[in-house]
Amino acid sequence: MSKKKKQIEAEAMASVEIIHPAENPKLRLLNVSYVYSKGTPFEMKALDSVSLDIHPGKLTGIIGHTGSGKSTMVQLFNGLTTPTSGKVLLDGEDIWAKPKEIGKIRFRVGLVMQYPEYQLFEETVSEDIAFGPKNMGLPREEVLERVAESARFVGLPPDIMDMSPFDLSGGQKRRVAIAGIMAMRPEVLVLDEPAAGLDPQGRRAIFSGIKQYNRQTGCTVIIVSHSMEDMAEFCDDVVVMAHSKVLMAGSRDEIFAHADKLEAVGLDIPQITRLALMLVKEGLTFPESLYTVNYAAAAFKDAFGLKEGGDV
Amino acid sequence: MPLIDIKHLSYAYREENGEPVPVLKDISLSIEKGEYVVILGHNGSGKSTLAKLLNMVVDDYEFAEGEINVEGINVLSEDITEEDVLNLRKTVGMVFQNPDNQLVATIVEEDVAFGPENLGIPNPELRERVDNALATVGMTEYAHHEPHRLSGGQKQRVAIAGIIAMMPRVMIFDESTAMLDPIGRREVIDTLEMLNREKGITVLSITHYMDEAARADRVIVLDDGKVLLDGTPAEVFSHGDMLRAAGLELPQCTALCYELMAAGLELKGPFNTPEQCAKALAKAWREKEGC
Repeated sequence: MSKKKKQIEAEAMASVEIIHPAENPKLRLLNVSYVYSKGTPFEMKALDSVSLDIHPGKLTGIIGHTGSGKSTMVQLFNGLTTPTSGKVLLDGEDIWAKPKEIGKIRFRVGLVMQYPEYQLFEETVSEDIAFGPKNMGLPREEVLERVAESARFVGLPPDIMDMSPFDLSGGQKRRVAIAGIMAMRPEVLVLDEPAAGLDPQGRRAIFSGIKQYNRQTGCTVIIVSHSMEDMAEFCDDVVVMAHSKVLMAGSRDEIFAHADKLEAVGLDIPQITRLALMLVKEGLTFPESLYTVNYAAAAFKDAFGLKEGGDV
Repeated sequence: MPLIDIKHLSYAYREENGEPVPVLKDISLSIEKGEYVVILGHNGSGKSTLAKLLNMVVDDYEFAEGEINVEGINVLSEDITEEDVLNLRKTVGMVFQNPDNQLVATIVEEDVAFGPENLGIPNPELRERVDNALATVGMTEYAHHEPHRLSGGQKQRVAIAGIIAMMPRVMIFDESTAMLDPIGRREVIDTLEMLNREKGITVLSITHYMDEAARADRVIVLDDGKVLLDGTPAEVFSHGDMLRAAGLELPQCTALCYELMAAGLELKGPFNTPEQCAKALAKAWREKEGC
């Protein structure tokens, strides 16, 4: 790159306004654009000058329609795709500074793709989970330790560890695949629709396991999902994508306080939030935005003067 | 006579080691013409197997017991003829989970024509059926498009059109919304409801989504291969504990209303949808403010 071009780029970067800025962002997108099929009739801008921080140690949810740029964004996080322009920073360093070493980035940012159960291949559950940490060259003891720990996080019982992953149910296979990435203990764990197609309790089990992993290891976690109810219950921060840009990003409270904005771009809002909005029109008042059943139950009991435990 | 009549149906598949694994255990139920039925159950509860048996698309009938009658065709009979199977497939159409696995042609209208063409429907009737089917699912303007460039919801609607063009009496949707985003889900649900309400097609929809169940006439909950609950959405949703024990969850608003009632608030149902819950809570609120 010529000196002049570098200077122009530096100036452009300096004036970029970051959405939801963090002091020490774990990941930062700096003016990132991504164009598919460039130069063909199917050219499409999947991301349009996005500047965003992902806060360290937080569980961040990314929501938005199909085609809003979510999946492109998560693939940029671990260097699976290269930005057409702009920079992806991990701990403040450009992940593409040394393109030949991008493999190292993938150990640091682990990506669990959609329907990861189709990627299982080992003979036993524990070998499948061990594949990643083994490849990292870790000593056997530590590999075993990590396998056991990851299995615990996703709720796999010890008695299935020696079974073939192909004899498990769909939900269990999914957990094995997620545990396999967790066992690499990436600094950032990215999951694309981790609970798609699972029944309600399966969804809950996966999301609680991921949250537990986040809280106990302190690793940054990013989840892409369409399920507003799950996002509202489990995430710390929420990023809303629309039309290849970030529409909003902030704490869960901040985002769900703008339920109207979410509805305006055609996104679902949690059922319970919709209910609260309908009742606000009837004259009920609530202390804050409601987005989980537990919050709502407490707020309604308060509003109706009901005590916990059943006495009026 | 009911359209589908199931008596004491049991089914098991064979493990690699030869052991039979029971999936359905002594199920009896019947479905009347024109019903809109949702079948709920956790992963592995047997709901997909049940659906596949109705259309004879399971591989192995060795451990199938009991009776399944679909419009007079005895599905599990030893001497079922090829003609019976053909008639069965004409009567019962199935839409599966993954839209990409159901599209066979490179042009949308050719894909829709695939089924009726194989049934030997000649032109101009074929043309008419394809056009009608595409119009029914709102995909007429995409007739000459390539299916792989469509959204998930659109692909699924094309798959549905392909079934409609064969004019079945019953349509089974086997988790047909599971892989779709919320918009795609809405498109498919609206389509299947329209087929039931306006075209009189009997609909059996298998799903995990409780809000889809809330819109049906009747909800059947399967657990461990047995019928756990069978009734209107309101009846089924009143058994929150049983649903949770079966790996399911009430819709958020319904759960809230039941929790408030348990805490002593007097509410009048139904509580199937957020709108109904809002109505019940608003009424209780006005009564409280009034006194």
